[in-house]
Amino acid sequence: MTDDVVRYATPKLGGYVVLTALGLLSSLIFARPELAAVSAPFAVVLAVGLTVSRRPDLRMHVEVDRDRVLEGDEVVLEIELDARDSVPRLELLVEVPRGLELVSGTNRTALRLELGEQRLLELRFRCTHWGAPRLGDAHLRVGDAAGLLVWEQTLEQGTVMRVYPRPEELRQLVGPRETQLFTGNRVSRAKGEGLEFADVRSFVPGDRIRRINWRASARRGELWVNEFHAERNADVILFLDSFVDARRGDRGTLDEAVRAAATLTERYLLEKDRVGLVNFGGVLNWLRPGTGLVQRYRIVEALLNTEITLSYAWKEIDVLPRGTLPPKALVLALTPLLDDRAIGALLDLRARGFDLVIVEVSPLPYAETPPGELGELAFRLWKLRREGRRLQYERAGAPVVEWHERTPLTSVLEGVNASRRHARARV
Amino acid sequence: MLALGLAGTVWLAYALVTAGARAIVPGLVGVGASWSLSAWTRGAGAPGGTVLAAVGIFVAAEIAYWSLEQASVPDEGELVARRAAGLALRASGALVLVAFVLAALGLRPGGGLVIETVGVLAAVGLLAIVLVLARAVYGAER
Repeated sequence: MTDDVVRYATPKLGGYVVLTALGLLSSLIFARPELAAVSAPFAVVLAVGLTVSRRPDLRMHVEVDRDRVLEGDEVVLEIELDARDSVPRLELLVEVPRGLELVSGTNRTALRLELGEQRLLELRFRCTHWGAPRLGDAHLRVGDAAGLLVWEQTLEQGTVMRVYPRPEELRQLVGPRETQLFTGNRVSRAKGEGLEFADVRSFVPGDRIRRINWRASARRGELWVNEFHAERNADVILFLDSFVDARRGDRGTLDEAVRAAATLTERYLLEKDRVGLVNFGGVLNWLRPGTGLVQRYRIVEALLNTEITLSYAWKEIDVLPRGTLPPKALVLALTPLLDDRAIGALLDLRARGFDLVIVEVSPLPYAETPPGELGELAFRLWKLRREGRRLQYERAGAPVVEWHERTPLTSVLEGVNASRRHARARV
Repeated sequence: MLALGLAGTVWLAYALVTAGARAIVPGLVGVGASWSLSAWTRGAGAPGGTVLAAVGIFVAAEIAYWSLEQASVPDEGELVARRAAGLALRASGALVLVAFVLAALGLRPGGGLVIETVGVLAAVGLLAIVLVLARAVYGAER
Protein backbone atom coordinates (compact mmCIF):
# COMPACT_ATOMS: atom_id res chain seq x y z
CA MET A 1 0.00 0.00 0.00
CA THR A 2 1.38 3.42 -0.95
CA ASP A 3 1.28 6.85 0.65
CA ASP A 4 -2.32 7.68 -0.15
CA VAL A 5 -3.55 5.27 2.47
CA VAL A 6 -6.17 6.48 4.89
CA ARG A 7 -6.16 5.02 8.36
CA TYR A 8 -9.19 5.24 10.57
CA ALA A 9 -10.65 3.69 13.66
CA THR A 10 -13.43 1.17 13.35
CA PRO A 11 -16.70 1.45 15.29
CA LYS A 12 -15.40 -1.45 17.35
CA LEU A 13 -12.54 0.66 18.69
CA GLY A 14 -14.92 3.40 19.76
CA GLY A 15 -17.33 0.89 21.26
CA TYR A 16 -14.63 -0.87 23.27
CA VAL A 17 -13.27 2.42 24.57
CA VAL A 18 -16.76 3.41 25.74
CA LEU A 19 -17.42 0.01 27.32
CA THR A 20 -14.06 0.05 29.11
CA ALA A 21 -14.55 3.59 30.34
CA LEU A 22 -18.10 2.93 31.49
CA GLY A 23 -17.08 -0.25 33.30
CA LEU A 24 -14.21 1.41 35.14
CA LEU A 25 -16.15 4.57 35.94
CA SER A 26 -19.20 2.74 37.22
CA SER A 27 -16.89 0.50 39.22
CA LEU A 28 -15.50 3.59 40.92
CA ILE A 29 -18.82 5.43 41.30
CA PHE A 30 -20.80 2.49 42.63
CA ALA A 31 -17.89 0.88 44.45
CA ARG A 32 -18.48 -2.39 42.60
CA PRO A 33 -15.07 -3.87 41.70
CA GLU A 34 -16.62 -6.70 39.64
CA LEU A 35 -17.63 -4.07 37.04
CA ALA A 36 -13.93 -3.38 36.52
CA ALA A 37 -13.46 -7.09 35.98
CA VAL A 38 -16.22 -7.06 33.35
CA SER A 39 -14.50 -4.26 31.45
CA ALA A 40 -11.06 -5.87 31.71
CA PRO A 41 -11.30 -8.00 28.51
CA PHE A 42 -12.24 -4.91 26.49
CA ALA A 43 -9.34 -2.96 27.95
CA VAL A 44 -6.91 -5.76 27.21
CA VAL A 45 -8.13 -6.11 23.61
CA LEU A 46 -7.67 -2.36 23.17
CA ALA A 47 -4.20 -2.33 24.66
CA VAL A 48 -2.89 -5.40 22.87
CA GLY A 49 -4.69 -4.66 19.59
CA LEU A 50 -3.40 -1.10 19.31
CA THR A 51 0.10 -2.12 20.33
CA VAL A 52 0.53 -4.86 17.74
CA SER A 53 -1.32 -3.23 14.85
CA ARG A 54 0.85 -1.79 12.11
CA ARG A 55 0.45 -0.53 8.60
CA PRO A 56 0.16 -3.47 6.22
CA ASP A 57 2.56 -3.94 3.34
CA LEU A 58 0.53 -5.22 0.44
CA ARG A 59 1.11 -4.97 -3.30
CA MET A 60 -1.59 -5.35 -5.87
CA HIS A 61 -1.47 -5.61 -9.62
CA VAL A 62 -4.53 -5.60 -11.82
CA GLU A 63 -4.65 -6.71 -15.43
CA VAL A 64 -7.41 -7.12 -17.98
CA ASP A 65 -6.81 -9.95 -20.44
CA ARG A 66 -7.86 -7.81 -23.44
CA ASP A 67 -8.97 -4.24 -23.77
CA ARG A 68 -10.73 -4.30 -27.14
CA VAL A 69 -13.82 -6.43 -27.24
CA LEU A 70 -17.23 -6.62 -28.82
CA GLU A 71 -20.51 -6.29 -26.99
CA GLY A 72 -21.42 -9.61 -25.40
CA ASP A 73 -17.80 -10.77 -25.09
CA GLU A 74 -16.30 -11.70 -21.77
CA VAL A 75 -13.13 -10.32 -20.23
CA VAL A 76 -11.11 -11.63 -17.32
CA LEU A 77 -9.71 -9.30 -14.72
CA GLU A 78 -6.74 -10.75 -12.89
CA ILE A 79 -5.92 -9.34 -9.48
CA GLU A 80 -2.54 -10.32 -8.16
CA LEU A 81 -2.03 -9.80 -4.44
CA ASP A 82 1.39 -9.96 -2.87
CA ALA A 83 1.49 -9.72 0.92
CA ARG A 84 4.84 -8.52 2.25
CA ASP A 85 3.34 -8.74 5.71
CA SER A 86 0.55 -10.81 7.15
CA VAL A 87 -2.84 -9.31 6.38
CA PRO A 88 -5.45 -10.42 8.91
CA ARG A 89 -8.43 -9.23 6.90
CA LEU A 90 -8.39 -7.72 3.45
CA GLU A 91 -11.59 -6.43 1.92
CA LEU A 92 -11.41 -6.07 -1.82
CA LEU A 93 -13.91 -4.38 -4.05
CA VAL A 94 -13.41 -3.82 -7.74
CA GLU A 95 -15.44 -1.02 -9.28
CA VAL A 96 -17.71 -2.40 -11.96
CA PRO A 97 -18.45 0.31 -14.50
CA ARG A 98 -21.71 0.63 -16.39
CA GLY A 99 -21.85 -1.75 -19.30
CA LEU A 100 -20.08 -4.62 -17.56
CA GLU A 101 -21.59 -7.32 -15.39
CA LEU A 102 -19.88 -9.86 -13.21
CA VAL A 103 -20.22 -13.39 -14.55
CA SER A 104 -17.99 -15.38 -12.24
CA GLY A 105 -15.81 -14.73 -9.22
CA THR A 106 -16.56 -12.88 -6.03
CA ASN A 107 -16.06 -9.19 -6.28
CA ARG A 108 -16.84 -7.96 -2.78
CA THR A 109 -14.80 -10.31 -0.69
CA ALA A 110 -12.77 -10.49 2.52
CA LEU A 111 -9.76 -12.74 2.77
CA ARG A 112 -6.66 -13.36 4.81
CA LEU A 113 -3.13 -13.35 3.49
CA GLU A 114 -0.17 -14.86 5.25
CA LEU A 115 3.28 -13.31 5.31
CA GLY A 116 4.78 -13.60 1.80
CA GLU A 117 1.65 -15.12 0.35
CA GLN A 118 0.76 -14.37 -3.26
CA ARG A 119 -2.73 -14.86 -4.47
CA LEU A 120 -4.35 -14.52 -7.85
CA LEU A 121 -8.02 -13.67 -8.03
CA GLU A 122 -9.95 -13.85 -11.26
CA LEU A 123 -13.12 -11.98 -12.01
CA ARG A 124 -14.92 -12.60 -15.27
CA PHE A 125 -17.09 -9.84 -16.69
CA ARG A 126 -19.48 -9.74 -19.61
CA CYS A 127 -19.57 -6.57 -21.68
CA THR A 128 -23.25 -5.80 -21.95
CA HIS A 129 -23.06 -2.35 -23.48
CA TRP A 130 -20.78 -0.57 -25.91
CA GLY A 131 -18.61 2.20 -24.56
CA ALA A 132 -15.25 2.91 -23.04
CA PRO A 133 -15.52 1.60 -19.49
CA ARG A 134 -12.61 1.75 -17.13
CA LEU A 135 -12.10 -1.60 -15.45
CA GLY A 136 -9.68 -2.43 -12.68
CA ASP A 137 -10.00 0.38 -10.18
CA ALA A 138 -10.15 -1.28 -6.79
CA HIS A 139 -10.80 -0.35 -3.21
CA LEU A 140 -8.71 -2.09 -0.58
CA ARG A 141 -9.46 -2.12 3.10
CA VAL A 142 -7.12 -3.91 5.47
CA GLY A 143 -8.12 -4.49 9.06
CA ASP A 144 -5.78 -5.35 11.92
CA ALA A 145 -6.03 -8.59 13.86
CA ALA A 146 -8.26 -7.12 16.58
CA GLY A 147 -10.46 -5.25 14.13
CA LEU A 148 -9.75 -1.88 15.76
CA LEU A 149 -7.98 -0.04 12.96
CA VAL A 150 -8.48 -0.06 9.22
CA TRP A 151 -6.26 1.12 6.36
CA GLU A 152 -8.08 2.05 3.22
CA GLN A 153 -6.79 2.79 -0.25
CA THR A 154 -8.22 3.22 -3.71
CA LEU A 155 -5.94 1.83 -6.38
CA GLU A 156 -6.49 3.38 -9.77
CA GLN A 157 -4.84 0.78 -11.96
CA GLY A 158 -7.81 0.48 -14.25
CA THR A 159 -7.61 -0.05 -17.97
CA VAL A 160 -9.82 1.94 -20.29
CA MET A 161 -11.45 -0.70 -22.41
CA ARG A 162 -13.05 -0.35 -25.79
CA VAL A 163 -16.28 -2.24 -26.05
CA TYR A 164 -17.33 -2.00 -29.66
CA PRO A 165 -20.94 -2.38 -30.70
CA ARG A 166 -21.53 -5.82 -32.14
CA PRO A 167 -22.21 -5.38 -35.85
CA GLU A 168 -25.48 -6.71 -37.19
CA GLU A 169 -25.85 -8.89 -40.23
CA LEU A 170 -26.91 -6.77 -43.19
CA ARG A 171 -28.15 -8.26 -46.43
CA GLN A 172 -28.00 -5.04 -48.39
CA LEU A 173 -26.98 -1.44 -47.95
CA VAL A 174 -28.67 1.73 -49.06
CA GLY A 175 -27.08 2.53 -52.37
CA PRO A 176 -26.16 6.15 -53.11
CA ARG A 177 -27.72 7.91 -56.09
CA GLU A 178 -24.37 9.28 -57.21
CA THR A 179 -20.92 7.75 -57.13
CA GLN A 180 -17.56 9.44 -56.78
CA LEU A 181 -14.42 9.29 -58.89
CA PHE A 182 -12.46 6.64 -57.05
CA THR A 183 -12.61 2.95 -57.86
CA GLY A 184 -15.02 0.98 -55.76
CA ASN A 185 -17.63 -1.72 -55.79
CA ARG A 186 -20.59 0.35 -56.92
CA VAL A 187 -21.84 0.33 -60.48
CA SER A 188 -21.70 3.92 -61.64
CA ARG A 189 -24.10 5.49 -64.10
CA ALA A 190 -21.09 6.74 -66.02
CA LYS A 191 -19.49 4.55 -68.64
CA GLY A 192 -15.93 3.40 -68.28
CA GLU A 193 -13.86 0.41 -67.22
CA GLY A 194 -16.05 -2.12 -65.51
CA LEU A 195 -17.86 -5.40 -65.69
CA GLU A 196 -21.52 -4.40 -66.01
CA PHE A 197 -22.65 -4.09 -69.61
CA ALA A 198 -24.04 -0.63 -70.45
CA ASP A 199 -24.46 -0.15 -74.20
CA VAL A 200 -22.95 -0.65 -77.68
CA ARG A 201 -21.56 2.05 -79.92
CA SER A 202 -19.63 2.41 -83.17
CA PHE A 203 -15.97 1.58 -83.14
CA VAL A 204 -13.59 4.52 -83.01
CA PRO A 205 -9.83 4.37 -83.43
CA GLY A 206 -8.21 3.55 -80.11
CA ASP A 207 -10.90 1.12 -78.92
CA ARG A 208 -9.63 -2.22 -77.73
CA ILE A 209 -10.14 -5.16 -80.02
CA ARG A 210 -11.52 -7.29 -77.20
CA ARG A 211 -14.30 -4.75 -76.69
CA ILE A 212 -15.68 -5.40 -80.18
CA ASN A 213 -19.13 -6.91 -80.13
CA TRP A 214 -18.75 -9.32 -83.06
CA ARG A 215 -22.38 -10.30 -83.23
CA ALA A 216 -23.59 -6.68 -83.44
CA SER A 217 -20.80 -5.86 -85.90
CA ALA A 218 -21.82 -8.78 -88.17
CA ARG A 219 -25.45 -7.67 -88.16
CA ARG A 220 -24.69 -4.04 -88.98
CA GLY A 221 -21.76 -4.49 -91.31
CA GLU A 222 -19.40 -2.25 -89.35
CA LEU A 223 -17.51 -2.54 -86.08
CA TRP A 224 -19.38 -1.98 -82.89
CA VAL A 225 -17.95 -2.12 -79.38
CA ASN A 226 -19.42 -2.83 -75.97
CA GLU A 227 -19.55 -0.15 -73.33
CA PHE A 228 -19.51 -0.84 -69.61
CA HIS A 229 -20.51 0.92 -66.45
CA ALA A 230 -17.58 2.12 -64.43
CA GLU A 231 -17.17 0.75 -60.90
CA ARG A 232 -16.78 3.57 -58.49
CA ASN A 233 -17.00 4.20 -54.80
CA ALA A 234 -19.40 6.47 -52.93
CA ASP A 235 -19.19 8.93 -50.10
CA VAL A 236 -21.42 8.07 -47.18
CA ILE A 237 -21.90 10.42 -44.26
CA LEU A 238 -23.44 8.97 -41.14
CA PHE A 239 -25.36 11.72 -39.43
CA LEU A 240 -25.91 10.88 -35.78
CA ASP A 241 -28.38 13.02 -33.90
CA SER A 242 -27.17 13.15 -30.31
CA PHE A 243 -29.17 16.08 -29.05
CA VAL A 244 -31.74 13.95 -27.24
CA ASP A 245 -32.00 10.35 -26.19
CA ALA A 246 -35.25 8.58 -25.35
CA ARG A 247 -34.25 6.01 -22.78
CA ARG A 248 -35.67 3.36 -20.52
CA GLY A 249 -33.27 1.46 -18.31
CA ASP A 250 -30.27 0.22 -20.21
CA ARG A 251 -31.75 0.82 -23.64
CA GLY A 252 -32.26 4.02 -25.51
CA THR A 253 -32.48 5.52 -28.97
CA LEU A 254 -28.86 6.67 -28.90
CA ASP A 255 -27.65 3.15 -28.11
CA GLU A 256 -29.53 1.77 -31.08
CA ALA A 257 -28.31 4.58 -33.32
CA VAL A 258 -24.68 4.05 -32.34
CA ARG A 259 -24.95 0.30 -32.92
CA ALA A 260 -26.47 0.94 -36.33
CA ALA A 261 -23.79 3.50 -37.17
CA ALA A 262 -21.02 1.06 -36.26
CA THR A 263 -22.59 -1.65 -38.40
CA LEU A 264 -23.09 0.67 -41.35
CA THR A 265 -19.53 1.98 -41.07
CA GLU A 266 -18.12 -1.51 -41.24
CA ARG A 267 -20.26 -2.55 -44.19
CA TYR A 268 -19.78 0.60 -46.27
CA LEU A 269 -16.02 0.48 -45.74
CA LEU A 270 -16.02 -3.13 -46.90
CA GLU A 271 -17.67 -1.90 -50.09
CA LYS A 272 -14.67 0.45 -50.54
CA ASP A 273 -16.84 3.51 -49.95
CA ARG A 274 -15.55 6.53 -48.12
CA VAL A 275 -17.38 6.93 -44.81
CA GLY A 276 -17.55 10.03 -42.64
CA LEU A 277 -19.34 10.86 -39.45
CA VAL A 278 -21.22 13.88 -38.24
CA ASN A 279 -22.17 13.68 -34.61
CA PHE A 280 -24.70 16.48 -34.39
CA GLY A 281 -25.60 17.20 -30.80
CA GLY A 282 -24.77 19.27 -27.75
CA VAL A 283 -21.13 18.65 -28.63
CA LEU A 284 -20.45 18.65 -32.33
CA ASN A 285 -18.00 16.05 -33.69
CA TRP A 286 -17.17 15.18 -37.23
CA LEU A 287 -14.84 12.99 -39.20
CA ARG A 288 -14.09 13.67 -42.83
CA PRO A 289 -14.84 10.77 -45.18
CA GLY A 290 -12.14 8.19 -45.50
CA THR A 291 -11.58 4.54 -46.30
CA GLY A 292 -9.90 1.57 -44.77
CA LEU A 293 -9.48 -0.04 -41.40
CA VAL A 294 -8.02 3.07 -39.79
CA GLN A 295 -11.11 5.05 -40.71
CA ARG A 296 -13.28 2.31 -39.27
CA TYR A 297 -11.48 2.50 -35.95
CA ARG A 298 -11.59 6.29 -36.01
CA ILE A 299 -15.33 6.29 -36.48
CA VAL A 300 -16.01 3.59 -33.90
CA GLU A 301 -13.80 5.39 -31.38
CA ALA A 302 -15.75 8.57 -32.03
CA LEU A 303 -18.99 6.65 -31.60
CA LEU A 304 -17.84 5.18 -28.30
CA ASN A 305 -17.36 8.66 -26.94
CA THR A 306 -20.81 9.75 -28.03
CA GLU A 307 -22.95 10.99 -25.24
CA ILE A 308 -25.86 13.27 -24.74
CA THR A 309 -24.66 16.72 -23.75
CA LEU A 310 -27.40 19.09 -22.81
CA SER A 311 -27.17 22.28 -24.78
CA TYR A 312 -29.60 25.03 -25.63
CA ALA A 313 -27.33 26.58 -28.25
CA TRP A 314 -28.94 26.71 -31.68
CA LYS A 315 -26.85 24.80 -34.21
CA GLU A 316 -27.16 24.72 -37.95
CA ILE A 317 -25.44 22.69 -40.58
CA ASP A 318 -23.22 25.68 -41.41
CA VAL A 319 -21.14 25.00 -38.32
CA LEU A 320 -19.63 21.98 -40.04
CA PRO A 321 -16.31 22.66 -41.78
CA ARG A 322 -15.95 22.36 -45.53
CA GLY A 323 -15.08 18.89 -46.70
CA THR A 324 -17.10 17.16 -44.03
CA LEU A 325 -20.03 16.93 -46.39
CA PRO A 326 -18.63 16.30 -49.88
CA PRO A 327 -20.89 16.89 -52.89
CA LYS A 328 -22.96 13.94 -54.09
CA ALA A 329 -22.53 12.19 -50.76
CA LEU A 330 -25.22 9.94 -49.35
CA VAL A 331 -26.20 11.29 -45.94
CA LEU A 332 -27.67 8.56 -43.77
CA ALA A 333 -29.22 10.13 -40.71
CA LEU A 334 -29.93 8.18 -37.53
CA THR A 335 -32.22 10.29 -35.44
CA PRO A 336 -35.16 10.00 -33.06
CA LEU A 337 -36.57 13.19 -34.67
CA LEU A 338 -37.06 14.79 -31.29
CA ASP A 339 -34.94 17.90 -31.44
CA ASP A 340 -35.83 20.79 -33.71
CA ARG A 341 -32.17 21.62 -34.36
CA ALA A 342 -31.47 18.20 -35.85
CA ILE A 343 -34.76 18.24 -37.74
CA GLY A 344 -33.93 21.66 -39.22
CA ALA A 345 -30.39 20.63 -40.11
CA LEU A 346 -31.63 17.59 -42.02
CA LEU A 347 -34.10 19.69 -44.01
CA ASP A 348 -31.28 22.11 -44.72
CA LEU A 349 -29.10 19.26 -46.02
CA ARG A 350 -31.86 18.10 -48.31
CA ALA A 351 -32.40 21.63 -49.55
CA ARG A 352 -28.70 21.76 -50.45
CA GLY A 353 -29.17 18.74 -52.69
CA PHE A 354 -27.66 16.02 -50.60
CA ASP A 355 -28.96 12.52 -51.09
CA LEU A 356 -30.60 12.16 -47.69
CA VAL A 357 -32.02 9.03 -46.07
CA ILE A 358 -33.49 9.25 -42.60
CA VAL A 359 -33.66 6.25 -40.32
CA GLU A 360 -35.92 7.35 -37.52
CA VAL A 361 -34.92 5.51 -34.35
CA SER A 362 -38.39 5.42 -32.89
CA PRO A 363 -38.69 6.88 -29.41
CA LEU A 364 -42.21 5.45 -29.05
CA PRO A 365 -41.17 2.24 -27.21
CA TYR A 366 -39.52 4.45 -24.58
CA ALA A 367 -42.44 6.84 -24.20
CA GLU A 368 -45.34 6.22 -21.90
CA THR A 369 -48.84 7.48 -22.47
CA PRO A 370 -49.56 10.07 -19.78
CA PRO A 371 -52.47 9.11 -17.52
CA GLY A 372 -55.93 10.47 -18.10
CA GLU A 373 -57.94 11.44 -21.12
CA LEU A 374 -55.95 14.64 -21.61
CA GLY A 375 -52.70 12.70 -21.46
CA GLU A 376 -53.88 10.29 -24.13
CA LEU A 377 -54.96 13.19 -26.30
CA ALA A 378 -51.57 14.87 -25.89
CA PHE A 379 -49.82 11.63 -26.76
CA ARG A 380 -51.89 11.22 -29.93
CA LEU A 381 -51.20 14.82 -30.92
CA TRP A 382 -47.50 14.25 -30.41
CA LYS A 383 -47.60 11.18 -32.66
CA LEU A 384 -49.57 13.11 -35.29
CA ARG A 385 -46.97 15.85 -35.21
CA ARG A 386 -44.26 13.28 -35.79
CA GLU A 387 -46.26 11.88 -38.69
CA GLY A 388 -46.45 15.39 -40.12
CA ARG A 389 -42.71 15.77 -39.88
CA ARG A 390 -42.17 12.54 -41.77
CA LEU A 391 -44.45 13.80 -44.54
CA GLN A 392 -42.50 17.04 -44.61
CA TYR A 393 -39.29 15.10 -45.27
CA GLU A 394 -40.91 12.92 -47.86
CA ARG A 395 -42.22 15.97 -49.67
CA ALA A 396 -38.67 17.27 -49.70
CA GLY A 397 -37.53 14.00 -51.30
CA ALA A 398 -35.93 12.37 -48.28
CA PRO A 399 -37.40 9.02 -47.33
CA VAL A 400 -37.99 8.40 -43.64
CA VAL A 401 -38.09 4.87 -42.32
CA GLU A 402 -39.17 4.22 -38.78
CA TRP A 403 -36.97 1.82 -36.86
CA HIS A 404 -38.53 0.21 -33.84
CA GLU A 405 -36.60 -1.39 -31.02
CA ARG A 406 -35.46 -4.98 -31.67
CA THR A 407 -36.29 -4.79 -35.38
CA PRO A 408 -33.29 -5.97 -37.43
CA LEU A 409 -31.49 -3.12 -39.13
CA THR A 410 -31.39 -5.02 -42.38
CA SER A 411 -35.18 -4.96 -42.69
CA VAL A 412 -35.13 -1.21 -42.06
CA LEU A 413 -32.59 -0.71 -44.82
CA GLU A 414 -34.64 -2.85 -47.16
CA GLY A 415 -37.54 -0.53 -46.38
CA VAL A 416 -35.35 2.45 -47.28
CA ASN A 417 -34.34 0.86 -50.58
CA ALA A 418 -37.95 0.04 -51.38
CA SER A 419 -39.06 3.60 -50.69
CA ARG A 420 -36.21 4.98 -52.85
CA ARG A 421 -37.14 2.65 -55.73
CA HIS A 422 -40.76 3.76 -55.32
CA ALA A 423 -39.68 7.42 -55.35
CA ARG A 424 -37.64 6.88 -58.55
CA ALA A 425 -40.58 5.16 -60.21
CA ARG A 426 -42.82 8.08 -59.22
CA VAL A 427 -40.36 10.57 -60.65
CA MET B 1 -34.23 -4.98 35.84
CA LEU B 2 -35.71 -7.62 33.62
CA ALA B 3 -37.17 -4.83 31.49
CA LEU B 4 -33.75 -3.17 31.32
CA GLY B 5 -32.13 -6.43 30.26
CA LEU B 6 -34.82 -7.06 27.67
CA ALA B 7 -34.53 -3.52 26.36
CA GLY B 8 -30.77 -3.96 26.06
CA THR B 9 -31.22 -7.23 24.19
CA VAL B 10 -33.82 -5.72 21.87
CA TRP B 11 -31.58 -2.72 21.26
CA LEU B 12 -28.67 -5.02 20.44
CA ALA B 13 -30.87 -7.03 18.07
CA TYR B 14 -32.02 -3.79 16.44
CA ALA B 15 -28.36 -2.76 16.01
CA LEU B 16 -27.57 -6.02 14.28
CA VAL B 17 -30.62 -5.98 12.05
CA THR B 18 -30.05 -2.41 10.92
CA ALA B 19 -26.25 -2.83 10.85
CA GLY B 20 -25.98 0.21 13.10
CA ALA B 21 -22.62 0.07 14.87
CA ARG B 22 -23.46 2.90 17.24
CA ALA B 23 -26.41 1.02 18.71
CA ILE B 24 -24.30 -1.94 19.84
CA VAL B 25 -22.76 -0.20 22.84
CA PRO B 26 -26.10 0.93 24.36
CA GLY B 27 -27.44 -2.59 23.91
CA LEU B 28 -24.47 -4.15 25.69
CA VAL B 29 -24.57 -1.47 28.39
CA GLY B 30 -28.26 -2.23 28.95
CA VAL B 31 -27.61 -5.94 29.37
CA GLY B 32 -24.58 -5.28 31.59
CA ALA B 33 -26.49 -2.77 33.72
CA SER B 34 -29.36 -5.22 34.14
CA TRP B 35 -27.01 -7.92 35.37
CA SER B 36 -25.16 -5.50 37.62
CA LEU B 37 -28.34 -4.12 39.21
CA SER B 38 -29.62 -7.64 39.72
CA ALA B 39 -26.42 -8.59 41.50
CA TRP B 40 -26.42 -5.36 43.49
CA THR B 41 -29.94 -5.81 44.81
CA ARG B 42 -29.02 -9.30 45.95
CA GLY B 43 -26.23 -7.68 47.95
CA ALA B 44 -23.47 -10.18 47.23
CA GLY B 45 -19.85 -9.03 47.29
CA ALA B 46 -18.96 -10.57 44.00
CA PRO B 47 -22.11 -11.80 42.38
CA GLY B 48 -22.32 -15.35 41.22
CA GLY B 49 -21.65 -15.82 37.55
CA THR B 50 -19.45 -12.70 37.25
CA VAL B 51 -16.99 -14.54 35.09
CA LEU B 52 -19.73 -15.93 32.89
CA ALA B 53 -21.42 -12.55 32.58
CA ALA B 54 -18.17 -10.79 31.74
CA VAL B 55 -17.16 -13.36 29.15
CA GLY B 56 -20.72 -13.43 27.78
CA ILE B 57 -20.79 -9.66 27.27
CA PHE B 58 -17.33 -9.73 25.73
CA VAL B 59 -18.21 -12.56 23.33
CA ALA B 60 -21.51 -10.84 22.46
CA ALA B 61 -19.61 -7.65 21.62
CA GLU B 62 -17.06 -9.52 19.50
CA ILE B 63 -19.74 -11.41 17.57
CA ALA B 64 -21.85 -8.27 17.13
CA TYR B 65 -18.99 -6.32 15.52
CA TRP B 66 -18.00 -9.35 13.46
CA SER B 67 -21.53 -9.70 12.15
CA LEU B 68 -21.53 -6.03 11.16
CA GLU B 69 -18.42 -6.64 9.08
CA GLN B 70 -20.15 -9.61 7.46
CA ALA B 71 -23.08 -7.42 6.54
CA SER B 72 -20.83 -5.22 4.40
CA VAL B 73 -18.26 -7.65 3.04
CA PRO B 74 -18.60 -11.37 3.81
CA ASP B 75 -15.49 -13.33 4.79
CA GLU B 76 -14.35 -16.21 2.64
CA GLY B 77 -14.67 -19.67 4.23
CA GLU B 78 -11.09 -20.00 5.43
CA LEU B 79 -11.17 -16.62 7.12
CA VAL B 80 -14.41 -17.46 8.94
CA ALA B 81 -12.81 -20.56 10.44
CA ARG B 82 -9.73 -18.61 11.50
CA ARG B 83 -11.74 -15.84 13.03
CA ALA B 84 -13.94 -18.31 14.88
CA ALA B 85 -10.82 -19.93 16.30
CA GLY B 86 -9.51 -16.49 17.26
CA LEU B 87 -12.79 -15.67 18.97
CA ALA B 88 -12.68 -18.90 20.96
CA LEU B 89 -9.12 -18.06 21.99
CA ARG B 90 -10.08 -14.54 23.04
CA ALA B 91 -13.08 -15.86 24.98
CA SER B 92 -10.81 -18.28 26.83
CA GLY B 93 -8.35 -15.49 27.51
CA ALA B 94 -11.16 -13.27 28.79
CA LEU B 95 -12.27 -16.07 31.10
CA VAL B 96 -8.83 -16.42 32.62
CA LEU B 97 -8.38 -12.67 32.77
CA VAL B 98 -11.66 -11.98 34.56
CA ALA B 99 -11.04 -14.79 37.01
CA PHE B 100 -7.58 -13.40 37.65
CA VAL B 101 -8.86 -9.85 38.10
CA LEU B 102 -11.53 -11.02 40.54
CA ALA B 103 -8.96 -12.99 42.45
CA ALA B 104 -6.60 -10.03 42.47
CA LEU B 105 -9.36 -7.79 43.75
CA GLY B 106 -9.97 -10.29 46.52
CA LEU B 107 -13.47 -11.19 45.38
CA ARG B 108 -14.80 -14.71 45.33
CA PRO B 109 -16.78 -15.56 42.27
CA GLY B 110 -19.99 -17.34 43.16
CA GLY B 111 -19.75 -20.69 41.45
CA GLY B 112 -16.06 -21.35 41.73
CA LEU B 113 -13.53 -21.02 38.96
CA VAL B 114 -13.50 -24.67 38.00
CA ILE B 115 -17.28 -24.86 37.52
CA GLU B 116 -17.37 -21.63 35.56
CA THR B 117 -14.45 -22.74 33.42
CA VAL B 118 -16.30 -25.91 32.59
CA GLY B 119 -19.37 -23.85 31.69
CA VAL B 120 -17.46 -21.51 29.42
CA LEU B 121 -15.58 -24.37 27.78
CA ALA B 122 -18.91 -26.03 27.10
CA ALA B 123 -20.17 -22.83 25.47
CA VAL B 124 -17.01 -22.52 23.38
CA GLY B 125 -17.28 -26.18 22.43
CA LEU B 126 -20.87 -25.66 21.36
CA LEU B 127 -19.79 -22.71 19.22
CA ALA B 128 -17.05 -24.84 17.68
CA ILE B 129 -19.54 -27.60 16.84
CA VAL B 130 -21.85 -25.05 15.22
CA LEU B 131 -18.94 -23.71 13.18
CA VAL B 132 -17.80 -27.16 12.10
CA LEU B 133 -21.34 -27.97 10.99
CA ALA B 134 -21.61 -24.65 9.19
CA ARG B 135 -18.35 -25.30 7.36
CA ALA B 136 -19.52 -28.79 6.41
CA VAL B 137 -22.73 -27.33 4.97
CA TYR B 138 -20.75 -24.60 3.18
CA GLY B 139 -18.38 -27.19 1.72
CA ALA B 140 -21.28 -29.37 0.58
CA GLU B 141 -22.92 -26.37 -1.12
CA ARG B 142 -19.70 -25.55 -2.98
